[in-house]
Formats: sequence, C-alpha cells, structure tokens
Amino acid sequence: MYAVLLLPNFRLQAALRFRSVTVGAAFAVTDGENFVSERNETAAAFGVSAGMAATQALARCPRLTLLFRAVETEQVLGQTLLEVADTLSAEIEATGEGCCTVDLRRAAVRDWKSWCEAAGQRLAVLELRARIGVAPNPDLAFIAARRAESFLVVHAPAPFLAQLAISEIDPPPHLLALLRDWGIHTLGQFTALPRGELADRLGPEMDLLWQRAAGQTERLLRLVRPVEMFVEYFEFEHEIETVEPLLFLLRRFLDQLTLRLAAVHRVAARLTLQLPMDNGTKHERVFTVPTPTGDAAVLFRILHTHLEDLKLEAHPTGVRLQIDPVRPEHQQFRLFESPLRDPNRFGETLARLAALVGADNVGVAEVKDTHRPDAFQLNEPRFHQLAESSVKPEENLSIGLPLRRYRPPFAAKVRIQQRHPVEIESSIVHGRIVDVLGPYRASGDWWDKERWAVEEWDVEVEEQGLYRLHREIGGWFLDGCYDNALR
Amino acid sequence: MSSRVAALRDLLQQKYPEAEVSPAGVLPTGVKELDEANGGLAQGVVTELVGPTSAGTLFTEIMLGVLVRQGCFGALVEAGNSFHPGDADANALQRLLWVRCPSVMLAVKAADLLLRDGNLRVLLLDLQTAPERELRRVPASTWHRFQRLVETSGMALVILNSQPAIEAARVRIAIRQRWKLECMKRRRRQLLRQLSMQVFERRQFPILADTEQKTA
Repeated sequence: MYAVLLLPNFRLQAALRFRSVTVGAAFAVTDGENFVSERNETAAAFGVSAGMAATQALARCPRLTLLFRAVETEQVLGQTLLEVADTLSAEIEATGEGCCTVDLRRAAVRDWKSWCEAAGQRLAVLELRARIGVAPNPDLAFIAARRAESFLVVHAPAPFLAQLAISEIDPPPHLLALLRDWGIHTLGQFTALPRGELADRLGPEMDLLWQRAAGQTERLLRLVRPVEMFVEYFEFEHEIETVEPLLFLLRRFLDQLTLRLAAVHRVAARLTLQLPMDNGTKHERVFTVPTPTGDAAVLFRILHTHLEDLKLEAHPTGVRLQIDPVRPEHQQFRLFESPLRDPNRFGETLARLAALVGADNVGVAEVKDTHRPDAFQLNEPRFHQLAESSVKPEENLSIGLPLRRYRPPFAAKVRIQQRHPVEIESSIVHGRIVDVLGPYRASGDWWDKERWAVEEWDVEVEEQGLYRLHREIGGWFLDGCYDNALR
Repeated sequence: MSSRVAALRDLLQQKYPEAEVSPAGVLPTGVKELDEANGGLAQGVVTELVGPTSAGTLFTEIMLGVLVRQGCFGALVEAGNSFHPGDADANALQRLLWVRCPSVMLAVKAADLLLRDGNLRVLLLDLQTAPERELRRVPASTWHRFQRLVETSGMALVILNSQPAIEAARVRIAIRQRWKLECMKRRRRQLLRQLSMQVFERRQFPILADTEQKTA
C-alpha cells in the first residue's frame, strides 16, 4: 500500500501559520500578479475561487482578508511534512506542493484506520491540517487523499473509482472535452469502454488515462531524504515595537521545533535568531546551547535573556529561528565527577553578565604566547566540558608577589641617578624610591608594525609600597602595584 | 510538651524551608593559619578579607589553588580591571570566570547573578580598588541578601576589601602584613607560607574593630 499526506490549501495554511484566525472568517492567498491562488471554505461560499482577480474576490466577499504568499513558511511546512513522512517509512517522495507519498509496502500494518489516525495526530500536533489517502498505488492514494475528510483507505479500487468524476484524474483538456462529447462523465463509464480499441483510435495518451482511471498505474517513487533543517519563520503585518509579540512567537516556534527534533531523536545544539528590520538591515545572533537539549523552556530562556536587554535601532518586520541539531549525548555521571549543576542555566547567567558589563568583560583569561606585557584574551568559558575532578596542582614556581595592574598604566615622572630610578611622581604615588630591582628588558614583534620594547623596574617607594614601573619610547609609566595600603 | 515543640518545628520547617540551612562545609586552602582556624574557606557564608593590595592578590592566588586542588570552578568579579592573569597558573585560569565591572554597583549586580546561578563553588568579589564613597552607597541589606543566597547554594563568597565594610560577613580575615622589595626574589610558595592572617568569627568582630583603632 501507499499513503499520500496532503496539506489542503497549502499556501493558505502557510500564510495563516502562527496567526490568530477567527472562526468563519474569509481568507484568500494572492499570487504575485494579484490573483487569488487559494481560498478557504468561507470565501468559497461567497463565490471566491482560484484564478479570480483580487478586486473581483473582494467585490464578492467584502469581508475577505487577502494574504500574500509566505514562501519561506511554505518551505518550512514542506520540510515538516517530509520529516513526518520520514518517520513513517524510509521510502518517501516529495510529490508536490504540500503533498508527500509514502511507500508502505514493507510496513506490517494491520489496522489502517489506526495508522491513519496516528499519522494525522502527528501532523496535528505540528499544527498541520492534513488529509491522508491510502491505496494500492501512488496515484490512487493521491486521489483518495484528495477525496478524504481526514483520511480514506481504499482497499478495492474499482468500486471507489467508478463513482468519481472523470476530472478527478486530471485528464488533458482535449481528451476531457472528447469524453464529455461522448457522454462519459464518471471513471466507471470510462473504464467500461474497451481499453484496446481506445488505444488504437486515440493513441497511447488515452491508454495511460484509461489505466489511471482503472487504478492500474504503477510508477516508481522519486525518493528523497529530508534535510535536517529546523527553521521557523514569521513575517509581521506591521513592524513591532515591543518584545512581547516576539517572545510569544518564539515560544511557539520552539514548541514546534522541539517536537520536530524529538521526532527524529535530535536535540538543539545551536540557535540562530534573525530579525529582519524595517530599515533593510538584519539583526542576527547565534547562541550555542551549553548542554544540547530538546527542552523548549530551556531554549526559550536563552532567547528571552538575550531579547530582554536587546536595544535595536530599527523595528523588526519578521523573525526567523533556526536550530542546528545534534544527537543527544548519553553521559553517565561518575560518583565523584560531575560537570556544572546546570550548564544551560550557567549559559543564561553568562548571557546576562555579558548584557550587564559587556561581552568583552566576561570570560576565561588565556595568556597569549608572547613576552609582551599584559597580553591576554578573554574566551568563552567551557566549564561544562572540563570535568569537575580533583587535580594535583603543579608546583608553584612563580617568584614574588602577584601584580595588581593599572589599565591603562599611569604616566609618571621618574628621576634617574646613576642609571637607577630614585624618585617618582605620578597621580598614584610620589616619593623617594628606596630600593629597586631591574631593569628587566623585553622586546618583540620587531618584524611587524606592532613592534614593542620595554624596560621594567620593580621599585619600593618610601613608606608607600611596592610598584612596577616601565620605560618605553614615550617615557615612564606606572604599570601596577604589588603592595600598598590603598584607602 | 516535647511533641508540641516537635510539631511546631515541623510546621516552621514546612512554612520556611529556606530557614533550615545545613552547614555547607569548607574548602581546604593549603594555608596553615586559615585551615587551622576555620578548616579552610567556609562554604555557605560570606567571608570578608581585609588588607593591603598584596593581601588581595595573594588571596586570589590561594583561591586559584583551591580551584585546581578541588577541581571546581569559581569566579572573580572585580570592581575595576586590575587582575593580572600573567601571574596565574594556566590550569587555574581555565577554571576561573573573570568579570570586569566598571563600578561597584555593577560588580554587586554581577555577583548577585552568579550567586543566584549557584553553579560555581567559589566567588571572589574584589572591591579593594573601589572608591570608598561608591562602596558606602551599597545598601547593607545587599550583603545580608548575599549571605542568604550563599546559605542556599553552598557557595563560598569572599569579598576583598581594604577596610572592614561588610556587616553581614560571618568570617573576617585580616591580613596586615606589608612586604619589602626583597620579597620579590623569593618563591611565591614561600611568601604564602609566611603570610600571617587573623581569622575572626562574627562574634569576634568588635575585637577586630578595637584592634584597628589601636593600630590607627
């Protein structure tokens, strides 16, 4: 058997996704040339039909809401449909817009009704309204899906097809006109005609049509594999000015995306948030999830933390969220080793800290591989990747007191006697230098524009403390202090 | 009677579960005086360290040693930007989150976030270089709130200061030692061994104040 999953009014479903819809309201989607391409049942009841000009449709139904095609959302729906189909069978075909054929010949299904209900339920939780048709061949399954209310299983093709109008199998217009001239309106009437004589008189095209009418066509599926791309997109009708609608949508996005992830046994490793702006620019931010998870609440907190402190120069006109999936890690904690208690919460705290003091001021320091003084960089902490385990510390070979640096260093006036500093005057300290250690000379990058050379001195200023000075081309500077009384 | 008292205790525990705080333990520091006096760095309490610049930098060194020895993670929140990573062990730096704040108020907020987070074991709040005027603007209730937070999370919070200012501190460590330039030729391990500190429990704080007045 084959099953066809069909999303009726596919373009309309995409255009209405994540929008609040009043029951009984009339909607239609227009194409690029302002013609109606799809409409809902309420609009149809007012006489609005596909191919009609938008103005004509509005004349027939003044309460009609016209929507533009949401092409990106259509892609998302198509992708979601394929993902669901992929969970039903390994052999699937992207038959058309909002239509997917599943080969179930190898599936051991006894109760097709329950199977269809379960598949329909999977699509329903992803907010997809679908019709399912099951039949012995793909074309018949498609016809069954088109005729279904929610699902239709065709075990016997002949009686099912006999009552259907000839237009159900989409014959070429000239053959349809010919058959109508002959007074043939149903597939039953058509298949009652002798196949061989029809083929002799009207050629192979009519023979193929006869086979389809009899439900005898067999074709190979053009198999596809769904791409693991988890994206949701929404375009606002008007620019938004507050964060609430954005958060509301993102929560719904995440609910949907995590369901899709769970269906393929994946978890979110990275989130990419894009906000197209009304001035043509785009705000983009990538969030790495410290411990990949499929928990929508955790992922939402990451986005919420970012958005609550976000200040933008323009108004967002849409929102796009993409999740990069990974396989869930299965890690068994050992008795005396555990990483952070809650790495995702720690990730949020880091984001809050970055928002509070600036991303450049939060991180794990890494000393650069150079002798240049005060050369370090701040990296993103990866505590969750380091085991919390007891380590025997290396022997501390450092010499002297640690330095407390002044950033930037203070300019100083230093009096020299016999090549040694003997007196200092600066905004921090001034007085007689009673003891010195140095000079410690260092230089580097002489081959580069950034070349540097310093001469460092450790000094004891009378009754004030221990300091570090350095001399470079611009003069003397106070680098920091080792020991002073402060306040 | 005793059953009524027990019932009352149960009721109070149910109603105010946060009031039931179990001792969070200590982290041995490897510094003889501190470990002998207090068992080490007390977890679940606010500790204030008072002393000159060298006291702050050497205590940061001690804390980095604790992180490596215990294999845990910690944070250094500075009201300023004076920590010199070039002096620290690279393994210890990997376990230290460094937060540089331009003002005392931001440093307090950053510490608050980390205490609420509760993922780290040690938090060092360095206010040594902060202007006294700015420090006095921090409401005393903030430090009491910090004490409540560390009680629940079991973190060790150490506030570095040049003068005693944290009323809510349960432990105060005073380092009055000053150094001569000659110390710059000695190994830091040796300096840490020579470091002399006084450790006071909360009930002893007035004695510390008296000592300071006498010193002054």
